[in-house]
Amino acid sequence: MPTRLAALASVLAAAFALWPLFALDVAWPGTVRDYLEAKGTVESGAMNLVSAIYLGYRAYDTLGETVVLLVAVTGAIGMMAAGSALAPREAGGAPVEPARSPRREARSRQRTELIAALSGKLGAVILIFGLYVMLYGHVSPGGGFQGGVVVASGIVFLALGSHGAAPSPLVGARNLARIESAGFAILLVAACLGVASGKGFLAPPLPGGDPVSFIIVLNAVIGIKVGAGIGLLCVAMLTEEAA
Amino acid sequence: MGMTDLALAPAILPLVGAALALAGKTARPASARTLERLGAFVGLALPWLPLVLLAPSILQGGAVEGFVGGWAPSVGVAFRFDGMAWLVNLLGFAVAGPAWVHARGSGPRGSAFTALYLVQASALAATSMAADLFNLFVCLEVLGMASYVLVTESGKPGAYLASFSYLMVSAAAMVFFLLGVYGLYRLTGALEYGAVARGLSALPDSGGHAALASVAAIAAAIALRTAVMPLYGWLPEAHALAPHAVSAVLSGVLIKTPLFALTRILVLLPGGGETGAILGAAGAIAAPIGVVIALSQTDAKRLLAYHSISQIGYVVAAWGAGVALIAADPDGAGASAGAVLVAAAYLHALAHALFKGLLFLSVGTVTDVAAERDVYRLRGAGRALRRAGERLPVTTLAFAVGALSIMAIPPFNGYASKAALSAALKGRWQYWTLLAASVGTVASFIKLSLVFRRPKPAASTETFSEEAPPAVADTATEAPESGAEKVPISAKLATATLAAACLAGGLAAPRLYRVVATALGAAPGATDAWSAALYAPAELLKTAGLAAGGLALFALARTAPGKALASAIRNRPRGFHGLFLALCLGMAALTAWLIR
Amino acid sequence: MIARILVGLLLLTGLATLVARRNLVKKVFGLAILNSAAVFLFVMEGAHSGQGAPIVDGSALQIVDPLPQALMLTAIVIGVCVTALALAIAARLHRATGSLDIDVIKERLGNGHD
Repeated sequence: MPTRLAALASVLAAAFALWPLFALDVAWPGTVRDYLEAKGTVESGAMNLVSAIYLGYRAYDTLGETVVLLVAVTGAIGMMAAGSALAPREAGGAPVEPARSPRREARSRQRTELIAALSGKLGAVILIFGLYVMLYGHVSPGGGFQGGVVVASGIVFLALGSHGAAPSPLVGARNLARIESAGFAILLVAACLGVASGKGFLAPPLPGGDPVSFIIVLNAVIGIKVGAGIGLLCVAMLTEEAA
Repeated sequence: MGMTDLALAPAILPLVGAALALAGKTARPASARTLERLGAFVGLALPWLPLVLLAPSILQGGAVEGFVGGWAPSVGVAFRFDGMAWLVNLLGFAVAGPAWVHARGSGPRGSAFTALYLVQASALAATSMAADLFNLFVCLEVLGMASYVLVTESGKPGAYLASFSYLMVSAAAMVFFLLGVYGLYRLTGALEYGAVARGLSALPDSGGHAALASVAAIAAAIALRTAVMPLYGWLPEAHALAPHAVSAVLSGVLIKTPLFALTRILVLLPGGGETGAILGAAGAIAAPIGVVIALSQTDAKRLLAYHSISQIGYVVAAWGAGVALIAADPDGAGASAGAVLVAAAYLHALAHALFKGLLFLSVGTVTDVAAERDVYRLRGAGRALRRAGERLPVTTLAFAVGALSIMAIPPFNGYASKAALSAALKGRWQYWTLLAASVGTVASFIKLSLVFRRPKPAASTETFSEEAPPAVADTATEAPESGAEKVPISAKLATATLAAACLAGGLAAPRLYRVVATALGAAPGATDAWSAALYAPAELLKTAGLAAGGLALFALARTAPGKALASAIRNRPRGFHGLFLALCLGMAALTAWLIR
Repeated sequence: MIARILVGLLLLTGLATLVARRNLVKKVFGLAILNSAAVFLFVMEGAHSGQGAPIVDGSALQIVDPLPQALMLTAIVIGVCVTALALAIAARLHRATGSLDIDVIKERLGNGHD
């Protein structure tokens, strides 16, 4: 029972330490809200203030976030690709038989024609919706990340639908990896344009122009990168199961 | 290109390098290698350029600060490239470059590895200059993600388990960090450190318990990443089983960067000084305990990993005492005295980064060549290296330099930095625990050095016959490429560079200490007395005494009760849940102490 | 207040799952719950700072503070990435040892872990 006991003690300790934060009931500070309400749209060009922060004021954090996604995708894909080459050994040196439950094989056969046909057709619609969410993120709820996730689910639908007959090139792991690293490179170039034009790293580079174009570009690039990245993770795990 | 772009360059250039390396992943193999090397050059060599360009103004105590992209202060992401950021970057790139070169020979290689390695370097630089709570969160997450993956690059199954434990406990700690950010934002409506501090001081009772709990949550999360004593459980396995080059960076750089980044928060916020004092006390206690556990280990790299816990204890002890002084008296004499303590901590952090990096790389080469990691069974390492084609004993000498440095033998950098710590902590109880730890360090490195001793005749025919693999084949999984292993030229180059840096760091220590103390804001001339007394007879006598004590302790550890004790310590119960228990209890204890 | 306590309980549930469960995948679930609870708290409390969505379209409603939403967007992505990586490592450990139980994995990985 030491594990249970440790869990209980951890929970109690965490509850004690975090209690003041959950009990906190002061009025929400309005500094940022009031500032953005007055100036946010003018300074960033985006009516959606969440997008204004995400890709304008705090785009540096967003860059870090895309790097995290890149690392997760590279790491996870690397682990799955290298996995089959591994010959695990026990102390005596005998390889451990990887446990493959029969259920697992049955599950991959559960993809019926119905699911394949439906999800294959739905995939394209979802992709278009994702692009819409992505590109209109500066004026309406949505944005690059949200659109990207929708695009990723579109890719998953396409992958589920590409059962048998020629699969869409969009569900190929190599293509997705290519799109993702290209998206990362474009994002860095866009971020560095400001350095070249003298306005600083991650600043909207065009002199005098409406800064909204920068947000739209970033929205599109991040959407495509996130879509490809998360799509790649899902596709890799799907094919992992089928393999 | 303005100063702000120049200051951000050490964080951005490695990302550009990573993009280049990744582009190689889809290219043909030949151009992939070229792109990978180009990426490493851009990411690990070019950042020196902005560091050199910024040095004149930064090292005088100046700072480049601003908001990334020039956005408005109340919302934008603040960064601050000051003396501390410059110094941490120096430490990071000084180890990251040689370690990457070492990896060319010892593995891992490939576009993905280089890209991740560069992302890690970028995150180190970004962490060092963060001045915004949420940005620090993001930087620490990038740093963590890169290191979880890099630990597994050695391909050992054990490394996956180590990485999993590291990931889970560190991700849980980052959730607490996030809650701390929530608390401070909720109270003040700001994320930039200075604005948060101003907001809190405007509140009645400076935010009360909630502010203190937030500081405690943030400090606990960073203490976990730094592996301060009760929160160290994830480190030994991760550092011992990672590829050698990654171990060098993890032990040398990765555990110190968050600590120095925390300084800026603690000197400003309420409860910061007390938090620093507590962490410092934990570090001072960790130093001797860590070294005792290290002395009980049999695996060469695990021994080094436990030494990191002990050595980070030295760093945290002086750092914490310094932070407490600065926080108590930010504008007066206390700040200067505190800066000297932090400078001593940094000096030891730099020295440790160099010699521990060196030790991991040279011991890694030795264990690969000999296909044996058990320090009791591995003998005749010098001979194994010679057989592997090393005519000039570069690796042996490099190991000797590293061992002498960590044992604090003059004139290497470990001697100077430990002397700086002793001088700065004189008159405090921490002085004595660190002294005790030094004795243990000597003992455990005598033990590790024995791998270079000639094998006993009987054992030699068995273990080192030319055709048959070593009789101890059950560890063969740990060094899959054994056999025809040659010591790669890149490995020699990397260890030789770091060894030279250790020597140079020792010889130039008085100057270095002055520069570091000035950059961190100490009064001019604060380190002069120390420089004069560095090689005084009393100091040298103390070193000789420590060495003799170490020898005695080593002899003691070889006796039957000593061995039994070592085995008991080595096999003490440890579990996954222990990591979380330590984290939660540590955080709760810190909160309780702050709000008492 | 009730809502915050419930979110706090969610957080503790995640933590307990993470520590007490022996199955690696359930541990990852626990981590995801823990992370979501923190995100939930930040967004929920931020949403009390006004009435309208943070979109400047000339409506008279007082908008909510958009910063928590933007920050949590980042935190969510990071959480997803951590989860994905943890699952990949768990899958890899399963392939290496044939088990998802942390104690069994430790035992099977054997003497490298003395």
